[in-house]
Amino acid sequence: MIHVDDKHIPWREGMTVTALIEALGASYEYPAVRVNNKIVSRPQFDHTPVPDEAKVFLIPLVAGG
Amino acid sequence: MPDLTLREITATRYERPEIDRGYAGQTLKIDLSDGTIAMAPVTPVMKEKFVGGKGFDLWLLWHAVTADTRWNDPENAICIASGPMGGTPSYPGSGKSIVTTISPLTHMVIDSNVGGYFGPYLKFSGFDALQITGKSTEKTIIYIDGIEGKIEVLAADGLPEGAYEIAGGLTDQFSQAKPGNISVVCTGPGARHTLFGCLNFSWYDAKRKRARYKQAGRGGIGTVFADKGLVAVVARWDKVPLDVNQPADLEAAKAVGKRYSKEIVALDPKQNEMARVGTTHLVPIMNDFDCLPVHNFRYGRHPQANLIGRDVYQYLFDPGFDGCWKGCTVACSHGVKDFVPLTGPFKGQQVFVDGPEYETIAGCGSNLGIFDPFTILEINFYCDNYGLDTISVGTTIAFVMECYEMGLIDQTQTGGLVLSFGHRGNVLELIHQMGQGDGFGRIVGKGIRRLKAMFAKEYGTDPRILEDIGMESKGLEFSEYMTKESLAQQGGYGLALKGPQHDEAWLIFLDMVHNFMPTFEQKAENLHWFPMWRTWFSLCGLCKLPWNDVVPEDNKDTAEPAKVMKHINWYADYFTAVTGRNGTPDDLITMSEAVYNFQRIFNLKMGFGRREHDTLPYRAMGPVTEDEYDSRQERYDTQLKDAHGVDITGKDTAEKVALLRKFREEQYENLKGVVYERRGWTPEGIPTMATVKRLGIDFPDILEILKENGVTA
Repeated sequence: MIHVDDKHIPWREGMTVTALIEALGASYEYPAVRVNNKIVSRPQFDHTPVPDEAKVFLIPLVAGG
Repeated sequence: MPDLTLREITATRYERPEIDRGYAGQTLKIDLSDGTIAMAPVTPVMKEKFVGGKGFDLWLLWHAVTADTRWNDPENAICIASGPMGGTPSYPGSGKSIVTTISPLTHMVIDSNVGGYFGPYLKFSGFDALQITGKSTEKTIIYIDGIEGKIEVLAADGLPEGAYEIAGGLTDQFSQAKPGNISVVCTGPGARHTLFGCLNFSWYDAKRKRARYKQAGRGGIGTVFADKGLVAVVARWDKVPLDVNQPADLEAAKAVGKRYSKEIVALDPKQNEMARVGTTHLVPIMNDFDCLPVHNFRYGRHPQANLIGRDVYQYLFDPGFDGCWKGCTVACSHGVKDFVPLTGPFKGQQVFVDGPEYETIAGCGSNLGIFDPFTILEINFYCDNYGLDTISVGTTIAFVMECYEMGLIDQTQTGGLVLSFGHRGNVLELIHQMGQGDGFGRIVGKGIRRLKAMFAKEYGTDPRILEDIGMESKGLEFSEYMTKESLAQQGGYGLALKGPQHDEAWLIFLDMVHNFMPTFEQKAENLHWFPMWRTWFSLCGLCKLPWNDVVPEDNKDTAEPAKVMKHINWYADYFTAVTGRNGTPDDLITMSEAVYNFQRIFNLKMGFGRREHDTLPYRAMGPVTEDEYDSRQERYDTQLKDAHGVDITGKDTAEKVALLRKFREEQYENLKGVVYERRGWTPEGIPTMATVKRLGIDFPDILEILKENGVTA
C-alpha cells in the first residue's frame, strides 16, 4: 500500500511516480512529489519507482524566489 | 568586547509616541556629518500614497538626494523602515525591515527586504523610518533606545572587524541582561573594500543564546554604510504583545493571523518543509527542471547537484524553531552549529553559520562548479562576517572563472590564482582578499560591470563576449536562476526596477514548469501583476514566503493558482484590520502601483529608467557558445524549426547560434513593449502623465521630470 495523505493506493511491482499519480486520478500536474523524504521532480517521475508502504506527499510548488 | 570604548558625539531624549493602527507617526533623521538628530511627522500624503516600509524609504530618499548625487556623497541616505503591519507577532512573516539607498553598483535606487528584529524595534521605539545621511570621520554607532526614550550618536574605539563579532558584542554591551531586547545592524570589512557590501540584521536566538543574522544583501547598501563611517545601528525594545501595533480591529487581526498560522503548521510539513529545510528544497527541483545556474549560467543542471541541496543540509542544519521574527510559523532561518572553517581568520575555530539559503548554494556552489556543502558553508560564513552579498560574490566570481577558462584573463591578472570552475580553495582565497582589501579579490569586488570595462580596456578583451557572459543588468549581478528557456523570467529580471533580483517577479517556474502563461500577452500581464503584488509586501513590513511557499490544498483548483488568491484575501483582511483602511486585493495592487511608478521615475531622476536600461546579457536569453547550444541541441533545433520555421539542413552550430539569437533578442524587445503598455508607460518605458495622475503621484517635481524626458500626455 502507498500512503498519500488520507488516501491509500494499492502498490504493485514496478510502480513509478507517474503510475501512482495516474492511480490517484490527479488532474493537476504536480511539479514534484516527496517519496519517503526524497524529492522527485516531474522529469524523474517516469523512471522513479515507488516502494511498497511509501509515504508520499504531492508538492504543488508555485513558489520559490 | 573588553577593548570597546564609547564616546558620546550627540544625544537626545524624546517622548515615545504610542503606536496607532500600525504607525508610530514620525520618522527619525540622523546626519552623521554633524551629529544632528531630528524627528519629523509622517504626513497624510506619506500614509495615503506610500503606505510605509519601502514607500516611506523612497519618499525620504527622494528628498535627500538630487539627480547629481553619487552613492558616496554625504547626502546619499540609507533609509530603513518597517511598515504598518511590521512587528505583529501573530501573523506569519511580519518582521521585515526594508532598506534603500543609492547603490554603488547601479547609481540608482536599491531596495532590500530583510528579516531580523530591527525594523519592528525601530517602529516600537517611535519611528516608522530611519534616514541616515552625512559621513562621520570616526567609527560611529547609532543607538536608539525605545525603552528609555534616548538616541545617541557614539564614537567607538576598540571594535572588532567582523560582523558577527560586532553584532554579538554590541548585543551584550547594550542588553542590560536582556539580549532579546537588542537588534544590531552592521557590516564587515569587505563592505569597505568592495562595492557589494551587505548589511547584517540581528535577531536573538533564545534557545541557542546567541545573536543570529539575516542579510540585506543586494546592491551594496553595506558599502554605503561603511563609507559613512558607520559601524552599527542598534535598537533596543522590550516585550512585543499581540496588540503591539494597536490595530484598528484587534480581534479581526488576531483571527486572520491565527487562521494563517494554523494553515502553515498543518501544510508546511506536507509541502516544502520550510521549517525543517528552509529554501534548500529548491536546489534539486531547479536542477531537474534545468534552472539551476551552473558554470556562470552556461547550463541549468549538473549531475552532482544532489550533493548540495536539501538531501544534505537537512542533516547539517541544527534542528530547532528558527523564525527571524517572533511568532512566524514559516521559521525558515536555519543554521549550522559548530562548523569549523578550514581557511581564514576563523580557521580551526567552531562557529555558527546562518544559512545557507538557496541563493547562496546556487551562487557560491553550482554556479562556481563547487558541489561540496562544507565549502559553501565556509563561503556563507565568511561572506556574512566580511559583510559581502553572497549573490554578487557568486555571480561575479562565476564570470571571472569563465573569463579564466576562456583564456580572457590568466594568472598574470589573478595574482597567480588558478580560477577554473570548481577550484574551492582559490574561491575562498578571493573572498578573503575581498575581506582584507588586497590582491585580485579587491578588483573582483568592483562587480561585473566595472570588470567588463576593465578587462576590455586594460587586457584588450573583446567587449562583445564580455557583454554576453557578464551576468549583470543595470550594474547589479543576477540572482541565481537560469532563464534561457523562460521569456517571462527574462522579463522578470530585465524589467525589474533595481536590476536582476528575483523578488519582483519570480515567474520562471510558473512559466516553464506550470505553463501558466503560454501567450505573450499573459506573460506581459504577469509582468505587471506580480511586481505590483510583491512590492506590497515591502510597503507593509512583510515577508513574501507565507504567501505562496505554503499554499492551501484547494489552491490548485482555483481559477488563478499562481496568485494564491485565498491568501491575498487574508492579506487584505489583515491590512484592513491593522490600519482601519479598507483594502480589497485590487486596492493593494493600486497602492503598490503608485510606489512602483514613483521608483521608476526616481530612476529617471538619477539618469536611468528608460528602455535602454532594461537590457540583458545574451547569456540570460540563449546559448552564447556553440558548446552551450550543443548541450541542448535537440531543444534548440526543434525551436528553430517549429517555432521559427527555419530549415536547419546543412547549417553548422555557429549559424544556428546566430539565428536563435536573432529570434530571442527580438522576442525580448517585443516583450518589453507589451509590458510597458500594460504598465501604462510610453514605448520608452516611462510612466505616462495619465498613469501618474491615475495613481495620484502627480506631484510637481514628478511632472517636471516627465516633461524633461519628453512625456507630456
